[in-house]
Amino acid sequence: MNKSRAGRVGMVGLVLTFVAFGASDLLAQFQPAGTLGVLAPANIAKSRPKAPFDITGTWLHTQGENERFDPPAGFKLTPEAQKHYDASAAAVKEGKLYRNDIGLCWPAGMPIMMTRVWPIQMIQLPTSIFMISELMNSMRIVYMDGRQHVDPDIVVPSFNGESIGHWEADTLVIDTTGFVDQHHWIQDRAGIPASDALHIVERIKMQNQSKRLEIEFTLTDPKSWVGDWKITKHWDRQDERDIAEVECLPDLNEHMPTVHSSDNIREK
Amino acid sequence: MKAIRLTGPVILTLSLAVSLFAHHSAAGVDQTKTVTHEGIVKKFNWANPHSYLEIEVINEKGVAEIWNLEMMPPSYLVKAGWKSSTLKYGDKVTFTARPMRNGDPGGLFVSVKVPDGRTLLQTAPRGGGAAPAPQYQQ
Repeated sequence: MNKSRAGRVGMVGLVLTFVAFGASDLLAQFQPAGTLGVLAPANIAKSRPKAPFDITGTWLHTQGENERFDPPAGFKLTPEAQKHYDASAAAVKEGKLYRNDIGLCWPAGMPIMMTRVWPIQMIQLPTSIFMISELMNSMRIVYMDGRQHVDPDIVVPSFNGESIGHWEADTLVIDTTGFVDQHHWIQDRAGIPASDALHIVERIKMQNQSKRLEIEFTLTDPKSWVGDWKITKHWDRQDERDIAEVECLPDLNEHMPTVHSSDNIREK
Repeated sequence: MKAIRLTGPVILTLSLAVSLFAHHSAAGVDQTKTVTHEGIVKKFNWANPHSYLEIEVINEKGVAEIWNLEMMPPSYLVKAGWKSSTLKYGDKVTFTARPMRNGDPGGLFVSVKVPDGRTLLQTAPRGGGAAPAPQYQQ
């Protein structure tokens, strides 16, 4: 058998093995067998109580409100997070940046992807809520179909995490876990990192005749700080806005002196 | 070098625009300084999440250097009177910018006097020097 034929046979064998034994197992890792996806018509058609409000729309974090997630007074960081915090403070004092990951095209991630000064379009279905930020078209899917979080041993870590939502009276409650442990910041400008232990609970209320959203965040991350951080923020409906493709591109970024300055401290 | 004449309300608008244009993080930019230069447009890139200008400037040593100027996304520039064709390769312009602290040529764009004589900002100035439209950030 010549080399190329052997290669082809090997490849076919690999594919057959995957089809026979691998594919169903891989899919089954994330949801129990038989679970329907959130866009499956049969899942959408299931009988559920009527949602108290419809979040569908284009939303922008309220202008004039702090878009960063500053820690509460008296906050206590873990020694590891304190190192980043101190290094960031020292860099700012010298007029430099400390690990400006967002500027280098790393995703902002939750929770700060919600408060960039870019609109977020949200689409609510009976099974799920899709949230798409215009900035880098970063997306969250909030699962509302009754499923539980994926086993933490097999969840794929992400910047926006895995969000599971449910209704409590007139409040939408979203529980998010499953985060990456690098290049992800709770307060990027203050150098406060998020870890893979980050847990976010959002309590969302519709206000002002459906023109304003209020989200009360409870942030815990025992690898980065002690206790709960509670922060409440607001969004205003933007009926005259749509979103466009916004990609953070390497060649574009090379022309951003604030990003590629030698003053962006990477290693410490 | 010609200076651009700026009125009080325009200066106020400019300073607010730049301070709000906090961008990713603009810690490397000296927000207390505004520089004015004349140069030749090498590139005007009309893009999300940031437009940018490359302008060739002859520095005080007589050497040509390229100034990279970060700008707002097109959705804001349109409201301030810009089109993708407003500037092109070879146009002679006078611009103002907030420069980099470390002396690298470049910084945050503030205004430019374009060939048709208009001075363009990044955001539409409002009457009485009120705060400009909120700025996009990355």
